[in-house]
Order: sequence, then structure tokens, then C-alpha cells
Amino acid sequence: MFNFFSNSNVFVWIEKLINFIHSIFFALLLAALSFALILSPPDYLQGDSVRIMYVHVPAAWIGLASFTCLALLSILNFIFKIKNLTLIIKSIAPIGLIFTCIAIVTGSIWGQPTWGTFWAWDARITSMVILALFYFIIITIQKLISEEDKANKISSIVAAIGLINIPIIKYSVEWWNTLHQPASIKITGESTIHTSMLMPLLLMFFVFILYCALIFLMKYKTEIIRIKRKSLKRL
Amino acid sequence: MISNLISMNGYGIFVWSSFAITFIVCAAFYFKTRKTLKKYEKEFAKEIEELSIKQKKIVLEKSKVASKVFSSYNKTL
Repeated sequence: MFNFFSNSNVFVWIEKLINFIHSIFFALLLAALSFALILSPPDYLQGDSVRIMYVHVPAAWIGLASFTCLALLSILNFIFKIKNLTLIIKSIAPIGLIFTCIAIVTGSIWGQPTWGTFWAWDARITSMVILALFYFIIITIQKLISEEDKANKISSIVAAIGLINIPIIKYSVEWWNTLHQPASIKITGESTIHTSMLMPLLLMFFVFILYCALIFLMKYKTEIIRIKRKSLKRL
Repeated sequence: MISNLISMNGYGIFVWSSFAITFIVCAAFYFKTRKTLKKYEKEFAKEIEELSIKQKKIVLEKSKVASKVFSSYNKTL
């Protein structure tokens, strides 16, 4: 069982998965863009500016989910010291940072036509900026500290502290008076978004997930080769 | 119809810039990641090639990763 998850076996599977994602990605992206930009209806209140939602919301979801994943894996790695987890954490962090930044920038652009300003230090936006800072600190620690064990320990502690920010982001719109609207899509409870907008949103989210998987697999593959190169040098 | 799609009732600048930023950043990140991967693969394959025949044989037999990277590198040559 554990042999199946060895770097050699994982490497073979990664190649197959990368090829599979490449084969379906562009068709799905084209479909998602057609729905997001042409086929989905404008909002009765926000008009066509609502289309920004199709990149803003999936990017924010991925930013949050990546950090939750990263923090939980970091805590596990801190306790059990599993080498593969270090590789996964290193591969997830840049993806999370990119999507958090995309969410902040597209949210800011969306803010101008809806709120009349590009920026406001409201609770949701500020907590998202803090999330981006946590990602940045973790990546910097991994890059600057050459001792791997030490880097893992420090970044695990930072990630565990950063995990506190996740529920703050989620509930910021309920706990404080914010410009940002409350969530329209709820896992538990009734969503307030119409199906004609929900479907393109979920399709775009799926395309973003495929993109993340592609980047993650390429980064993971790079990390495996880096390790193998180290062991080759020891020969 | 096309001018409607571009202007989006006055919101075009916001919508198109959001999509453009997202896809330019994603494309740049994809190509950077791919370039780094290719660089590592190339350097690893070269390091294997520089080994003695005996060492090379041991490495390629023992490591699936090494043999995969080495064979795909030779294919591209």
C-alpha cells in the first residue's frame, strides 16, 4: 500500500494525469468562458458587472481551500514528519497565493462599479489581504531557510496561526458591517443564486480546479526530480 | 452584437480587465512552472548521462523516475 505512494509510482501517475488534463482543459475552458461572458444572464441590479463573479468567486474559494489544506497538512507534517507532505505543501502554496491575489484584484475591480470605489478596508477584503500575507510568509520561509527541517517547522507554525484567519474570512460579512455582500451559495441551507448563474459559476470553478491540479502536478513532479537529483549527487 | 459584447452596457472595461488579468496571470504562472520543470528534467538527464556506464545502468534500473526522465529527454533530442 505504502509502496504505491512511493515517489516512483506517483511520478508515473502524475505524467498520465497531466496528459489527461491537457486533453480536456481547453474545451472546458472555452465552454466555461462562453457561459460566463455570453450565455449567462446579467444581474437585475448589477447588470453585466456580475460577470466578474465568474472569476472572482472561484479564485477566492481556491485561495481559502488551498490555505486550509496547506495548514492542516503542515500540522500533520509537524507531528508525523512525512516527506511527501512537505512536497505537497511546497506545491500548494504558490497556487494559493496566485488565486488569493486574483480574488483581491478582481474584487477590487468589481468594487468600482458596485460600491463606487476600488478599495475599502472592510473586514472581508482586509482578512483576504492577511491571507495573501500568510501565503507570502510561508513561501519566503521555504525559499530563504536552506535547512529543510527548520523551514518546515517554522512554516508549520505560521500556517497553524494563519488557519485562525480562515473562519474570520468566512464569517467576516456576518460578524461586521461590511461593504462585501453575504454569501449567496451555501453548502448547508438555501442558496440565493439562480441556477442560470450557478451553473456557469460551478463550471468555471471546475476549470480553475483543473488548472490548479495541472500546476500542482507539475510542481510536485519538479520537487520529485529535485530530490532524485540530490540523491544522484551522493553517488 | 459584438459591440454589445465588448461594451457590456458600460461594464465592459471592468469585466474584460478582470478576465484578462486572471488569464494573463494564470498563463504566465503555467509557463513559468512548465519552464522550471523542463529545466530540472534536462539537468537531471544530463547528470545521468555524465555518469559512468556502470553507475548509469544501476541508476536507470533502480529508479523509475530517472529512467522515465532519461528516456523522454533522449526522445526530444
